[in-house]
Amino acid sequence: MLDTLTMFGFGPEGWGPAMLRAAANTVAVAAAGFALGGGLGILVAWAKIAGNAPLRWLAAAYTTILRGIPDLLVIYLFYFGSGLLLTPIANMFGVEGFVSFPGFVAGMGAIGVVSGAYHAEVIRGAFYSVKAGELEAATAMGMPRLLKFRRITLPLVARHALPGLGNVWQMVLKESALISVTGLVEIMRQAQIGSSFTRQPFTFYFAAGVLFLTITILSGLIFNRLEHRYSRGRA
Amino acid sequence: MDFEFLGQTFLKLLPGIPVTLELATLSLLLGACLALAFAVIRVRRIRPLNWLVIGYVYVFRGTPLLVQMFIIYYGLAQFPEIRNSFAWTYLREPYWCALLALVLNTAAYGSEILRGALLSVPRGQIMAAQACGMSGFLLFRRISFPIALRQALPAYGNEFILMIKATSLASLVTLADVTGIAARIIAETYRPVEVFVAAGTIYLAISYGLILLVRLAETRLNPDQRDPAPVARVDAARKEVTP
Amino acid sequence: MNQMTPHAQPDPIQPSAVSVRGLRKRYGALEVLKGIDFDARRGEVVSILGSSGSGKSTLLRCINMLEIPEAGTVTVDGTEIALIAQRGGGRQPADARAMDRMRARIGMVFQDFNLWSHKTVLGNVIEAPTHVQKRPRADCITEARALLDKVGIADKADQYPSRLSGGQQQRAAIARALAMNPTVMLFDEPTSALDPELVGEVLRVIRALAEEGRTMLIVTHEVNFARDISDTVVFMNEGVIEESGPPEEVFAAGNNTRLARFIEG
Repeated sequence: MLDTLTMFGFGPEGWGPAMLRAAANTVAVAAAGFALGGGLGILVAWAKIAGNAPLRWLAAAYTTILRGIPDLLVIYLFYFGSGLLLTPIANMFGVEGFVSFPGFVAGMGAIGVVSGAYHAEVIRGAFYSVKAGELEAATAMGMPRLLKFRRITLPLVARHALPGLGNVWQMVLKESALISVTGLVEIMRQAQIGSSFTRQPFTFYFAAGVLFLTITILSGLIFNRLEHRYSRGRA
Repeated sequence: MDFEFLGQTFLKLLPGIPVTLELATLSLLLGACLALAFAVIRVRRIRPLNWLVIGYVYVFRGTPLLVQMFIIYYGLAQFPEIRNSFAWTYLREPYWCALLALVLNTAAYGSEILRGALLSVPRGQIMAAQACGMSGFLLFRRISFPIALRQALPAYGNEFILMIKATSLASLVTLADVTGIAARIIAETYRPVEVFVAAGTIYLAISYGLILLVRLAETRLNPDQRDPAPVARVDAARKEVTP
Repeated sequence: MNQMTPHAQPDPIQPSAVSVRGLRKRYGALEVLKGIDFDARRGEVVSILGSSGSGKSTLLRCINMLEIPEAGTVTVDGTEIALIAQRGGGRQPADARAMDRMRARIGMVFQDFNLWSHKTVLGNVIEAPTHVQKRPRADCITEARALLDKVGIADKADQYPSRLSGGQQQRAAIARALAMNPTVMLFDEPTSALDPELVGEVLRVIRALAEEGRTMLIVTHEVNFARDISDTVVFMNEGVIEESGPPEEVFAAGNNTRLARFIEG
């Protein structure tokens, strides 16, 4: 027990600071991917709601495919796929060997593209749960399209989407563990490093689990507060 | 895109399909049994098991599956007591470790789905069964459970798809499932696009087959909703195929 | 100095507040409006009666182009909204901004209120004045509070709509429409979604507005109310206007059996 305390302490021998930095990386890459996915999700939801036939077809294909293929494969595609683009360029400049996006960018891209499919479904569902009359009232007041979207549609959709977005965030957070395969030093990768160094895999993976659990609990609390705050006026 | 290479990759991936399917089927079956037990404990509030299940579900849904799998496969070896016990025969095998992690994980999610379904069984239908003299296990087996099952099926179908995707994590504890083989080919050839297309197609085919099965089960279980619009159902199915 | 006085007489120089010519609207095979001609003078209160499906709500919704008619013209306050044919049938506004400007001058009160649920009552009332008319926020708030006082819910300004009764919500919606200082007010069955005991409070507010000399078009099922407050009553049936005139004439005539049946309920 004392050993474990020293090991995760902040002393010269301790792994504590490294694990916390890794946790910050996890949150950063998950948040970046979540934001990217949110932008993508808005576009795809818009294509599904208001697009013409080819756009709707593309959007349906995107959400179906990305929700049916393992995230790990998507991460490999982004990590090694970026190598296809970057390696020839790097070699041209005299850099030898395989060059790809840094793990953070590849991971953010993969998480963004995967979560975009889930975001899109959440946003589309939220849009359809907004009362059509509230949008029509804005039209009847003479609001131009963009103003109506910004002042009325977006806030109403956001309120209905918030619980669903909370779920997507929790999912993204857990999927981010897979980005360890790119070598990005997030929680899982740091735990791997620690366990091979100390030969105490259980201790380190357990610590990783505790960190993840802490982050999910904290973000759950934050989303609850947001929901409470933005659901004012909801029946 | 190099179609010859695509074809070769596809053939190389085929041996991974049984591994993926087996992991998915076994974990879903075993996981569902466990999930049902957990759900009943929660709904009946059987103390103190109730509290244990709540904690269990919370932890397994709050941490990544990869963490759970690594704790079981890499982590447990840290303890000599486990290495010397009979369980080690299984726990040193990546296959059983992956399966155990998948079962425990899906049981947590599944129990919440089934709990919701059991709670949504209309009170009146249970009272009607009680009025007929049913109670206990008979009432559960003949009335509550069948009604809950129909309620749970769409959500559980979703869980099926998620679990097929989740089996890919087994490749990270060295198993040669579809993703495991795909990762090896990518590392050897640096041709991620073709490999992604080939492996992705396989996963989509499996998921789609599963969706059909779930839909078939829904139709069978809900004869009252079966007849009115067979045409609409075909249309809906066609819409799913398009991608 | 100003010789112009409010009057309810037709004026050859001043255009009508609302003028509709040859209006046709269909949904698929169903023709809902079969060529409507209709005028409302400034300051006139027009009630539009008719059984459900007679096209009265559609007529109202065509006036502010929530429904785009296939044929015919709508002119509000002398300005006609130009509609151009679009590909694949139907028409669309030639100039979306001109249409928005016109809509901003027409107040609409809906059957089911349609207050924005993410804003307080006050937020609902000042939304369009501050963002569409871009008037100073402080002025809008002062004016909004006065309007809320006028419709009798000043104490509800900071509540969210879901906390209000149906009658209060509808009065808030009326205040919201008035805040744009519209030339015409459209009421689309304003009391149909209300519990009977709440109808009175809304009708009282509408009556007060009528007495101010506002131009108002009211689609309603409240026959007695229509008779009381209207300058003109229009009776619609199956997409055409069957009777139109001062209430005493329309109701006294008794020559239209369908109208008689409608009045008797």
